[in-house]
Amino acid sequence: MRDRLTLSMRASHLLALIFVAAALALAAIGAASGDTFYLRLGTEALIFAGLALSVDLLLGYSGALSLGQALYFGIGAYVSALTLLKVPSFWLAMAAAGGVTLVASILGGLIANRVRGVYFALITFGLAQVVAKVVYNTRELGASDGMIGIPVIEIGFGPVSVSAGNPVGFFLIVLAIIMGLYGLTAYLLDTPFGRVLTALKANEKRVPFLGYSVWRARMFSYVLAGLIAGLSGALYPMLRGFVSPELMFFATSGNAVISVILGGVGTLIGAIYGSVLLVVLKSIIGSWTEHHLIVIGLIFMICVMFLPKGLVGFIRPRIEERLLAGAREPAAPSFTSAQLEPGSAKP
Amino acid sequence: MNALDYLQFVLAPQVVNGLALGVAVVLVALGLTIIFGMLDVINMSHGEFYAIGAYAALALGAAGISFWFLLVLVPVLMVPLGMAAERLLIRPVFDSRDRHVTTLLVTFGLALVVEDLLKVAFGPNTQRPPTPIPGAIELAGIIVPNYRLFLIVVGAAIVTGVAYVVYRTRLGAMVRAAAFDRNMAASLGVPVALVYAGTFAFGVALAGLAGVLLAPIYSVFPTMGRDFILLAFTVVIVGGMGSIWGAVVAGLLLTQVQALASLVISPVWTDPIVFGTMVAFLVFRPQGLFGRLGHA
Repeated sequence: MRDRLTLSMRASHLLALIFVAAALALAAIGAASGDTFYLRLGTEALIFAGLALSVDLLLGYSGALSLGQALYFGIGAYVSALTLLKVPSFWLAMAAAGGVTLVASILGGLIANRVRGVYFALITFGLAQVVAKVVYNTRELGASDGMIGIPVIEIGFGPVSVSAGNPVGFFLIVLAIIMGLYGLTAYLLDTPFGRVLTALKANEKRVPFLGYSVWRARMFSYVLAGLIAGLSGALYPMLRGFVSPELMFFATSGNAVISVILGGVGTLIGAIYGSVLLVVLKSIIGSWTEHHLIVIGLIFMICVMFLPKGLVGFIRPRIEERLLAGAREPAAPSFTSAQLEPGSAKP
Repeated sequence: MNALDYLQFVLAPQVVNGLALGVAVVLVALGLTIIFGMLDVINMSHGEFYAIGAYAALALGAAGISFWFLLVLVPVLMVPLGMAAERLLIRPVFDSRDRHVTTLLVTFGLALVVEDLLKVAFGPNTQRPPTPIPGAIELAGIIVPNYRLFLIVVGAAIVTGVAYVVYRTRLGAMVRAAAFDRNMAASLGVPVALVYAGTFAFGVALAGLAGVLLAPIYSVFPTMGRDFILLAFTVVIVGGMGSIWGAVVAGLLLTQVQALASLVISPVWTDPIVFGTMVAFLVFRPQGLFGRLGHA
């Protein structure tokens, strides 16, 4: 029998390939037309896609809704900014941001994983609020203004180097990093550990009886999600040249949750599509009204209520059918993929 | 400055101001905790209902309706709004597998929409209705603004009234029964669907009433709900989700901590202390100070 979860993942990978192809096309058009604005906007969307990816890893796989994932995104951004101000090295900034978010997410995980469900949502919310307020009031970190004047760095790959100020070059680097994080997450979820996470979401009480530690699985996914958010956040000051406490605020975490819901919970690639979709929606609606939140809030509510699997959850089953047909293995009619996929909101 | 003067001119006014804020927070948290205890729904848009109440008071007050009449009118107007929100947004997803997360997300979306709608309707600026009871009186050497005193008294009366209805009347027993076991309550003739809608609307009406009462002190602006809801959530968690007395105790305690801490350290650091308390409570006593509504 074919493994339905692997099949779903393969469909996600196909969507990821389409995404990369579209992004490369955008980069080529941008390079040809000498555009800066849209490439920078696209880079920002990709960076926030990393944050959304970490929210989807938690919500879509272990079933834990984090309302404060921006905490790790912000920590990554601040650590990266502080490092770049001292030593303008891309690799050092990424390593420092990764190291600090690793420690922070272990600490946060020890606190947050004592509770579950709605309490988990509120504790992650509270943790992010506490740290955001502390940063907001710390003069050494620029307080409410944040930190500006982060130098434009050269990102070296052995003999070649790309400037972060080069819109096309930096777009491609961010694309590679975010898709790398996507690939790593998808790989880990396809291992036995990933199946424990899926099992956790399906029925948490049974998992210990099968001999797996619930705590360890939840902790691992939390730390992994924190690390992904932190590494994505580390890219932010390289793009914009500043960091501000807003990066840790609830609005940032909320945007990531919206992206995941729009794109599709539990599909991984949906988080990335959702993040881009959110940026596109914001700029389209923003061009005729400044009150874009009314429309985005309505779309979000409609998605939660009527399209719980989001955009990708709507498209992906069709791709799965194609993949199955391609493998010349008829699908059993009583066994639809919707019943087995992680992130299903319907009973 | 000797100790007695410190007590009279520094400590006591701070305690009274903290008490007024405490009552305000308890009023907002009351609706939140009732909705959670009863429907198991985290209402992320509660702060926006509070803002709607405040704006309604501002607009109707400007139209010449007296403040005292508004205290009744605005909560009554909020009831159909709450009923509609429950019917259109909560009911359709109420039986989904992950009710907590789904309802939290739906009400989060509603909060985004309402906040921006308020900005469209009333503009982004801060407004403040006139104080209905001006002046101040001296109580035991402490100068207390009349309206704050009124707020403390009225707030205490409202909380006592709500607690009486929930814990001592037949209606309250029906509500608690439906919260404890929905099917059993239904088979005993409790109109569960109506009780759910009514409870949600009641919580929304309480938020609106809090909006009317607090607008003269804390001003009215579109994001007012978001700023206040953080404190209200903290109170609900520390007090125990769904517990009325828990919300009262936690609300008064936390605001006193905030008020007194701001005497010793810079006021900007009091927020981390309050949220730190919430995090500590969630870690060591996730059920809060008191148990849930209908389970005690």
